Amino acid sequence: MMVPVRCFTCGNVVAEHWEEFDERANEGDEDPEKVLDELGVERYCCRRMLVSHRDLVDVVSPYQ
Amino acid sequence: MTEEYDVEFVERGEREARFLVRGVTPGFANGIRRAMLADVPTMAIDTVRFVENSSVMFDEQLALRLGLVPLTTPPEGEFGEDETVTLSIDVEGPATAYSGDLVSNDELVQPADQNVPIIDLKDDQRLEAEADAVVDYGKDHAKHQGGVAVGYRHLQQVEVVGDLPEFEDEESRIVRGVIEDNGELVPTSEFDHDLSNRYPGKEVEVEDVPNAFVFHVETDGSFSVEELVTRAADSIESRATELEDAVQL
Ligand SMILES: [Zn+2]
Repeated sequence: MMVPVRCFTCGNVVAEHWEEFDERANEGDEDPEKVLDELGVERYCCRRMLVSHRDLVDVVSPYQ
Repeated sequence: MTEEYDVEFVERGEREARFLVRGVTPGFANGIRRAMLADVPTMAIDTVRFVENSSVMFDEQLALRLGLVPLTTPPEGEFGEDETVTLSIDVEGPATAYSGDLVSNDELVQPADQNVPIIDLKDDQRLEAEADAVVDYGKDHAKHQGGVAVGYRHLQQVEVVGDLPEFEDEESRIVRGVIEDNGELVPTSEFDHDLSNRYPGKEVEVEDVPNAFVFHVETDGSFSVEELVTRAADSIESRATELEDAVQL
């Protein structure tokens, strides 16, 4: 639904970077690897949080 | 411990640092690590009273999200175990409620990150809630864990022992952490973690330096790295004193 606030594994706050990541790597055509490096999301546990996330609010909101 | 105790910073930032500690036993190094994770209390939202929540997520889900937002934690002794700080949030859609929308009634306790999306609100949806933040320990809930990915490695000493045979292919030799080369501390990231980049054509020997540990510490923003480490050490000290008092005749 909404992006997890923290990384499940290490507890780093990843949601802070979600909107920029989404804008640049998902909506835009930048390389996700480079975007994550620039955002300072270093560890692969935190990187998978953003890479594998899908926002579902728009999908479920019509049924509210 | 006969060896002299010494601390030296390799990298130092507000939320991330790397430092070398000499003259401690592996057990003590691990004690510090564990204290940083579990025994340094931080402020986090624990109770939420919803006035209105017409968003697509349940109250409980939003309460969890609010709890995970790191809050700046005031100095030790400023807040007692049962004291609370009230934060309120009131956002009307269409908009996204961010952690930065939380309004605290105490200047010392503020959201450490401003851009954590709490919930995306559509037309006519609204989130209004009041939350109580308390001080608690990482061992009770991960939201109270101030240290993030805290760990340590042995300091490694690199010594050049000779030249590689002339026509031998150079193999990469990966080390991670910090190496010591003639008393100089070099983070392995400086040579892409590969010793063959730093010592081309040389044969090198890598050895752990006994009782020297390189800590890598990050915090979630509740306080600085320095604060976290000193509070962890204080917590060990106070528990050791408590034990000493308890077993005294
Ligand atoms: Zn992580």
